[in-house]
Amino acid sequence: MTELERKIKAKIPGEDTGIEVKRSLCAICSPGHHCGVDCYVKDGTIIRVEGTQDHPYNHGKLCTKGSSLRNYVYREDRIKTPLKRVGERGEGKFEPISWDEAYEIIAENLLKVRTQYGPSSAAFFSGYCKWYRPILHRMAHVFGSVNFATDDSTCVTAKILGDKCTAGCGAGPDMAHANTFLGWNFDGYYSSHLSVAGVQKLKERGGKVIIIDIRDTPAAKNLADIFLKINPGTDGALALGMAKIIIENGWADMDYVEKYTYGFEEYKALVQQYPLDKVAEITGLDPDMIMEATRLYATNGPACTNYSASALVHHINGFNSHRAIVCLSALTGNFDRVGGNIPNPPTYLHKPAGFATREHEFRSNRYPENGPEQIGAERFPVWNALYDEFQAVDLLRQLEEQKPYPVKAIMGFGMNAKMLPETDKLLAAMANNLDFFVDTDLFLTMTAKYADIVLPACSSVERGELKAYQGGYLTFTKPVIEPLYESRSDVDIMCDLARKMDLDDDLLKQGYEACMDWIIDGCGLTVADLKKSDLPVKVPIAKWPAQAGKVLANGFKTPSGKFEFYSNAIAKIDPRLDPLPSYSDSLADQNDPETREKYPFYLCTGARLAYTLHSRIHEVPWLRSLRPDPTVEVHTADAARLGIKDGDWVAMSSPYGEIRMRVKTTGRAKPGILMAIHGYTEANVNELIGRNHVDPYTGFPGFKGMRCNIRKVQEDQ
Amino acid sequence: MKHVFVFDQNKCSACSACMMGCLDQNDTDIAAGDVCFRKTFDTEVPLADGSTYFAYISAACMHCVDAPCITACPVGCLSKDPETGFTVYDNTNCIGCKSCAMACPFGAPRYRTSDGKMVKCDGCNERVKNGMKPACVRACSFGALTCVTEEEYKSGVSGQACNAMIDQMGLRKK
Repeated sequence: MTELERKIKAKIPGEDTGIEVKRSLCAICSPGHHCGVDCYVKDGTIIRVEGTQDHPYNHGKLCTKGSSLRNYVYREDRIKTPLKRVGERGEGKFEPISWDEAYEIIAENLLKVRTQYGPSSAAFFSGYCKWYRPILHRMAHVFGSVNFATDDSTCVTAKILGDKCTAGCGAGPDMAHANTFLGWNFDGYYSSHLSVAGVQKLKERGGKVIIIDIRDTPAAKNLADIFLKINPGTDGALALGMAKIIIENGWADMDYVEKYTYGFEEYKALVQQYPLDKVAEITGLDPDMIMEATRLYATNGPACTNYSASALVHHINGFNSHRAIVCLSALTGNFDRVGGNIPNPPTYLHKPAGFATREHEFRSNRYPENGPEQIGAERFPVWNALYDEFQAVDLLRQLEEQKPYPVKAIMGFGMNAKMLPETDKLLAAMANNLDFFVDTDLFLTMTAKYADIVLPACSSVERGELKAYQGGYLTFTKPVIEPLYESRSDVDIMCDLARKMDLDDDLLKQGYEACMDWIIDGCGLTVADLKKSDLPVKVPIAKWPAQAGKVLANGFKTPSGKFEFYSNAIAKIDPRLDPLPSYSDSLADQNDPETREKYPFYLCTGARLAYTLHSRIHEVPWLRSLRPDPTVEVHTADAARLGIKDGDWVAMSSPYGEIRMRVKTTGRAKPGILMAIHGYTEANVNELIGRNHVDPYTGFPGFKGMRCNIRKVQEDQ
Repeated sequence: MKHVFVFDQNKCSACSACMMGCLDQNDTDIAAGDVCFRKTFDTEVPLADGSTYFAYISAACMHCVDAPCITACPVGCLSKDPETGFTVYDNTNCIGCKSCAMACPFGAPRYRTSDGKMVKCDGCNERVKNGMKPACVRACSFGALTCVTEEEYKSGVSGQACNAMIDQMGLRKK
C-alpha cells in the first residue's frame, strides 16, 4: 500500500486524499441539542462523521447516537420517491409517483376536507425532528385549522406547564455557581451528554451531588455523593416530605418566601401531611438518607436542581410531582438566584440564546378567528388554556366519537402513533375515519404505512436550516451532500404546498429563508449573513449568560406576580383540580384488588439508554447491534422466582394488550419493577398503556407507571 | 512518538459512542457478521457484602509492549509501529489460523468472515501519525477514553490509570 492509499483508507482529509470536511448538524435527537458535526466527504458521499471542535455548543463532542449519524443517513430503507398507497391502509403497499402528482393529490384532498367539513377537520401534526415546526404551525393556521399538534403532547410540555403554573417560566440549573446539585432524575450520560462536564466540574471544586433515580445509573455511580434509589412514581411525596423537614428545621429562606411567593400557608399545611416516616415508607428510602440529602440541599447552598423533560411527568401524578420539586427551589431561596435555577427563555426552537425572536408571533399571529375549540379542549382544560397546540392524547377519542366535530384529514410530518397509548387503536381509528392522510418521513414507519401519500424527506446533512445555540449564537447550515434519491427538505415541501393550495400567506409562499429572516428580524443578522460562515455566529444583540434576579426584580409571570405554591391559574381554569402540588398514587386508577393481583409488576417504559431514542434509531444497524432485541429489564430476584433466565422471552401484559420482549436480568431497579425500552414496532410497549391512564392536569400518559404482568414464553410462540 | 491508551472507569458509562466511532472509521460490515474492534461492557458484579457493583468498561487491543500476538503469528503479519508503538498488522499473508487471537489475553484480534483474514484495532495508527486522535477517543464525550504520548502518560496520567486499575480490581472500600 502506498502512503496515499494508507491515508485514503484512514480517511485523512486533505487535497491529496480528496476528502473534504464539511459542516452541518446532527438532528437525530431533540432540537434542545443538535450538535455541530464535521462530515468527511469524498466524491459526494459522507465517509465519516465527527463532532465539530470549534462549535460553540458541543465543542467536538458527539453522543452515541450522533456518532452513528452516517449509518442513520445512509440507511438502505430511506424512502426514495413520493409514494401513493395502492393497498389497504397499514398494509404498506405503495407505488412511486412524481412530486407534481403528489402535490396535486394532497392539495385536492386537503381543500376538499376544508370545504366539506371545515378547516379544523384537517389536523396538522409534527413529530421528529421538529426543526420545521414554526412553518407547519403557521401553515395549519393559514389553512384555517386550529389544530396543530406535535410530540410535545407527550414530551416535556407537562413540565413546561408545571413551571408556568408555579414560577411563570422554567429555569435552568446554574451549575457554574452552585455548591450543591440536586440531580433529580439526572442522567446526562444517557440523554444529555454535554451536561456531564458541568457536574464533573462542580465536583472538582468541592461541590456536592445528590442523585435521585429509580435505578442505578452511571450518574449514580460516577457523580453522586448521595444516591436516593426511590420507588417509582413517589417523587412528589419525597419533595413534600423534604419541604416539611426544611420548614421545621428553619432551613427555609423565609425572607424570600415572604417577599416573592404566594400560598405559603396552604403549602405548609399540605406538607404537614408528609412526616418523615410516612415519606420513607412511600418512597422506599432510608429516613436517615432523606434527612441527609435534605440537609445537604437546604444548607449547602446555593443549590440548583435538574428538572427532567419526561422522567417524572410520564406518571399520572407527574405534573404535581414536578411542581412539588420546583417549590423546593423557592422555599430555599434558590429560584432566580446565582447558583440556583435561573430563568433563560428560549430564543428559537427551545434553545435559549440570549435574545428574542418573533418565533411565537410567526406561529400564532394567523390563528383562525371564530374557529372551534382545539382537539382535547374539553378533556384537558389546563393544557388548552396554557399551550398553543392541541393535546394529541385526545385524538383517538375524537376520531372515534367525531365529537365535538369530525377529524377527516391529517397532514403529518414524521408523525408517530407509537408516541400515544393504544397505538393500534389509534391507527385503526385513523384508517377507518380519515378521508385523507399524508405523511412525510425519511423511512416508511409503522404510521407512514397508513398514509395515502408518503413524501420522502431529507436528513439534516442534506439541507440548510436556521439554528440558535446557547452562548448567543445563530447559524444557517448548508447541505454537505445532495438530498438522497428524490428526497426534499420538509420546509420546501410545506412552502410548495402553500403555493399549490394558494394559501393566503405571502410569507410562506416566499419560502423558508424569507420566513427565517422575518423571525430573526432585529437581531442584527440576516440569513444571508449567517450563510457566509460554516460555524455559528455571535448575535450582536445577544446577552449571555442569563443573569439571575430579573424575575425577582420584575415579578413572576403568574396571576399573583409571585412564585405560586398555590396556583391561581389552575384554581381558575379547572376547579376539579388541586391548585396545590398535592401527592397521589401513580397507579391510583388501577389499585383495585383484582387488578393488583393480576398485574403485580410496576411497568416503567422509556427509561433512557445511550443508544436508543424513542423509535428513532432502533433500525440504525450500528446502534441496533448493541441491543438486537426489544428488551425488558427484570430484577434478578423476580426472574429467579419466576424461573426466567437472562435472554428468555416473556409476554408482557396489561388490561390493554400484550407484547413480547427479551429479558435482561439486572439489579439496577428495585424488585417488582419492569423497565421496558419503548418505540419498537414489533414490540410497542405503549400498547400496554390505557388511553385514559393520563395525568388529569395535562393529559400526559402514565408511560412510566403502569400495572403489568410477565410470563415466560418460547421464542416461537 | 509512542502513544498510550488510557481508560478511566470512573468516567465511563458504557454509552458505546467509542464503538460507533470505531465502526464509522473502519467501515466494519455489521451485516456480514463482522464485529467492532472495540467493545463496551455494562456489567453487574455481585460483591461479598450482598451489594452490586455496576462496572462500565470500554476495551479493545491493549497494544501491549510485549505483544504475544506478534510472536504467535506464523506468517509475520503483526508488528510494532516504531513511531506510535501501536500493534499494527498487514494481513496480506494471513492464513486465518487464529493463532494471534488465541495468544491474546483480551481476544482483541478478530477473524473476518468475509475474507477469512484477521483484523484488529491498530490504534488508528494512520490518524495518530497525522496528528489526529483515534476514532474511539474522538467519540468519547466524558474523558473516559484518552490517548496520550508516553511522556504525558509518565508525567501524571499514570497515577490516574493506576487508580482506575485499582478500582477495577475492586480493592477499594465503597
